[in-house]
Amino acid sequence: MIKQSPVHFHRMKDMPSTHLLGTGTPMCAGCGGLETLHTMYDILGRKTVFVNAAGCMTLLSVYPFTPFHGGWLYTSMASAPAGAQGVRDAVDILLQKKKLPAQEDVEVVVVTGDGTAYGMGMSATSGAMDRNLDFIYLCYDNEGYGNTGQQYSAATPHAALTSTSKGSHGYPGYKKDLFSIWAAHNPAYVATVIAAEPLDLAKKIEKLQAMSGPRMLISLAPCPTGWDYDPELSVEIGRLAVQTGVWPLKEYIDGEVRHTKVPKQRKPVDEYLQLQGRFKHLFEPHRDEQAIDEIQARVDAYWDKYDAR
Amino acid sequence: MFRIRFHGRGGQGMKTASRILGTAFFKAGYEVQDAPRYGAERRGAPIFAYVRADKSTINERGVISHPDLVVIADDTLVGMPAAGVTLGVDAHTVLLINSHESSSTWRQRLNIDAVILALAAREDAADRATLPFIGSRCAAAAAALTNVIPRDVFVAALYEELGHLHEDIINQNRDIALGEFDDMTRHAGLVKQSGLPSASEYVKPDWIELPFENAEISNLAIHAGVTSVEVRTGLWRTMRPVINYDNCSGCAWICSTYCPDGAINVRTDGYPEIDYDHCKGCLICVAQCPPHAIESIPEHIARAQEAGETA
Amino acid sequence: MTRKLLTGNSAAAWGARLARVDYIPAFPITPQTEIIEDLAAWIDRGEMDARLVTLESEHSMITAAGAAASSGVRAFTATSSQGLLYGMEMVYTVAGWRTPFVMVNVSRGLASPITLESDHNDIMAARDSGFLQIHCATCQEIADSILIAYRLAEHADVRMPAIVNLDGFYLSFTREPVDLANASKAQAFIGDYDPENLQFRGNSPLSQAMAVLGGGPYSYFRYEAHLAVQQALSVYEEITDEFEDIFGRRYEMIDCYQMDDAEYVFVLLGSFSTKARDAVDSLRAAGWKAGLLRPRLFRPFPQQRIRQLLQGRRAVGIIDQNISMGMGGVLHSEFATALYGLKDAPLLGSYIGGLGGRDINQREFFAIADELKQAYDSGESLPPRLLYTQNELTEMRKLQAIAQAEHAEIHQA
Repeated sequence: MIKQSPVHFHRMKDMPSTHLLGTGTPMCAGCGGLETLHTMYDILGRKTVFVNAAGCMTLLSVYPFTPFHGGWLYTSMASAPAGAQGVRDAVDILLQKKKLPAQEDVEVVVVTGDGTAYGMGMSATSGAMDRNLDFIYLCYDNEGYGNTGQQYSAATPHAALTSTSKGSHGYPGYKKDLFSIWAAHNPAYVATVIAAEPLDLAKKIEKLQAMSGPRMLISLAPCPTGWDYDPELSVEIGRLAVQTGVWPLKEYIDGEVRHTKVPKQRKPVDEYLQLQGRFKHLFEPHRDEQAIDEIQARVDAYWDKYDAR
Repeated sequence: MFRIRFHGRGGQGMKTASRILGTAFFKAGYEVQDAPRYGAERRGAPIFAYVRADKSTINERGVISHPDLVVIADDTLVGMPAAGVTLGVDAHTVLLINSHESSSTWRQRLNIDAVILALAAREDAADRATLPFIGSRCAAAAAALTNVIPRDVFVAALYEELGHLHEDIINQNRDIALGEFDDMTRHAGLVKQSGLPSASEYVKPDWIELPFENAEISNLAIHAGVTSVEVRTGLWRTMRPVINYDNCSGCAWICSTYCPDGAINVRTDGYPEIDYDHCKGCLICVAQCPPHAIESIPEHIARAQEAGETA
Repeated sequence: MTRKLLTGNSAAAWGARLARVDYIPAFPITPQTEIIEDLAAWIDRGEMDARLVTLESEHSMITAAGAAASSGVRAFTATSSQGLLYGMEMVYTVAGWRTPFVMVNVSRGLASPITLESDHNDIMAARDSGFLQIHCATCQEIADSILIAYRLAEHADVRMPAIVNLDGFYLSFTREPVDLANASKAQAFIGDYDPENLQFRGNSPLSQAMAVLGGGPYSYFRYEAHLAVQQALSVYEEITDEFEDIFGRRYEMIDCYQMDDAEYVFVLLGSFSTKARDAVDSLRAAGWKAGLLRPRLFRPFPQQRIRQLLQGRRAVGIIDQNISMGMGGVLHSEFATALYGLKDAPLLGSYIGGLGGRDINQREFFAIADELKQAYDSGESLPPRLLYTQNELTEMRKLQAIAQAEHAEIHQA
């Protein structure tokens, strides 16, 4: 575990001003996931090995191009945490046997999309937490199987249009509560983050950097291509996700869930939904009151539960 | 066989163009093979699509390496080697370029053995990524140039491929496309079919015995850092964000933090600087700058200004 | 010489111990579990300095083994049949990482139907993956082959992972005398793990296993891996010589028994080949010029050696303990490929036997020899035969009757 001296992220001026992650990667313009990743990398630094599962971010490195100063290992769709296990254990063995000097130690960071985290990779993630693997896990959640054309996944929110839910009411299912599933494993740390709230994100990364054990992050990743909006809106949409209460910012630590940003007067969910083409059927040709009310009701119910505590 | 390539940027409708033309050929009694080809499958990034049409069964497959017609929807791709617009172009190829500039300007500029024709750009979307109707227009021009697709057959193909759109949009597409079709009829037949390569006279492939190289050389690994900067994703850009330093407050490098690609760095004087080799033009910085000190201008205009300045 | 009775699984565990492996990602499956139990016990008792971690599936286990090898340690793992198939994505994937490690496969028949008993369809499924394959016929061979496999896999001209295969039950749970290599001699033979230029370090850039765009680069990486596997043929020779010098045991890439003047040859992989040895002896006693050709190295496939060894023979009975659905025995296809176009190539007979652990008795070997002679006399190969008797079918009909398989009564002989 690398421990670095803490920088406290209070103001935007505390955010890193030069960026470690190389430019030139083929992520879509305006990628909300990349926004999160580059801030994470700035704070975590070069002494990292990123272990990746199949998804959009797999294309961060296409031979001979890589944006990393340190390590990168692509594994498969389902087994990135197992790859992290192998790297972490190997480095620990070498450190213990003095075959690797301490300054060559690395932080192992799994990066996957929601397709992996909410679905196929669940088993490997569960196993890694169960074994108390010392690693960081970033799930960039764009609420669908993005790299293959935005088919619905277990992370897709109710009513969203995706390439496999094109009916008049969109996706009939409901977004899985991955935060609670992960928290039930009692890992060292779980948090939700979003790049549109960079100080909240930076604080959480700084916090988890000083810990060891499984440290799990879910970043909502507004996705211009998959959610159907102009790329310049990625931050605005991300901010609205928080302000409407659709994306609660919270952390699980020492057995407790704590919200790190609570919108005082939640904006109505409409403001978030209507910017996105994947929800346009809720507004055109006419407003689908019932569907929007249902979405609003679920958000309200979540926060009512929180207020009641 | 007719061998036709369409080049454009993601979002400009090159796949649609190839489908309209493919369907048109099919309805005109041809065997057809059409497909899009993605590189980095992203909006603004160069893509191409191709169409093969023949009276007999088409056995040929894959990328067209000897095109009879190359349609370039976005003339900013011509100067971009990565877009590959001139791949396999030779003296018999017709190069049709959607541009405000004339055929003669392009002939002079390109100085290659090909028949160069300009498709007069009729609109100028600020954001080239959204050039409206360009797919239909390209398909129409291509259809007219072959001289084997009747006008009404083309219209039928257009309806079939655009049927999922709103009626008004379909009709707009139809009208604009037909305008193009009629206009191109003066060059009807300029695009000619070509046959199969000869087996009695061919250039031998330069086959080698791949030499064994041990793992230190041949392993699937990159032993250097940050080689990605060599990929100029700035070429995707159709809109350019430009910082007005008079209005920039050097606030707290909000733009730098929000840029997903890390293409805005903060200089030692505390002001942000955009890396235009890599900026993809997402315009998040424009949207988020608190004093609105960043404006967006069409990339092709920005380039023209740059060219003017250096001239 | 200290010979002890060890099961095949114990011999495998000893092989890993003598190879001084650092890291053992594990997952249990019959008939392999004793391997990881032995290793876990030694580690818990402090007799072995290694780390064993149980992953949640074989797919993860193989990922962890490859990732650890890519990070600079000597890794070992073991699996069987369904587990090997569950991890098959990663079997191909980690081979392409060019990171050497050894995996023991305890051969077991594949579902469906699900069985616990031995055959070779599981290991055959890995043959295109890039993993080297060494097949063992005795418990002694298992212990030694693991040491040889590490040297082979880790050699600078190879750098591909390797599978050491042993038959479930017939070797895995069967004790035989094993002369374990002396630990310090094993250490001298095997040396330390050299990661070459694949090791994650905090201060060095290294991206591994990434995506590739374009058939040209993809072809380069894949074909170089294939050439590396081929290199193992010559590297194996060097290692075999060295092993014999140190330990006094010689393991040719093809084990030949009574081959000098053999006219009729049996070909088998694995432990049933020792039964064929007895059959060869009995046939010789009855006047036949019989012999046995048993490949130890299956990948790379020792094509040239096979051509040399079989040229001029009368007929070869290839006994496959596997079946490629719709084609036949895998070894048969591979031998036919190897021999095609060879002047004075022998006739080939294809026999499928031993599926799901079914025994092959001595009378069957004799009958195969008779058929080979028949083929030779007629000048034409006989059609392939599944080794299966009327008695077995009668018994099957009884089972089908209970299961109420349609028409079971009608066909009952």
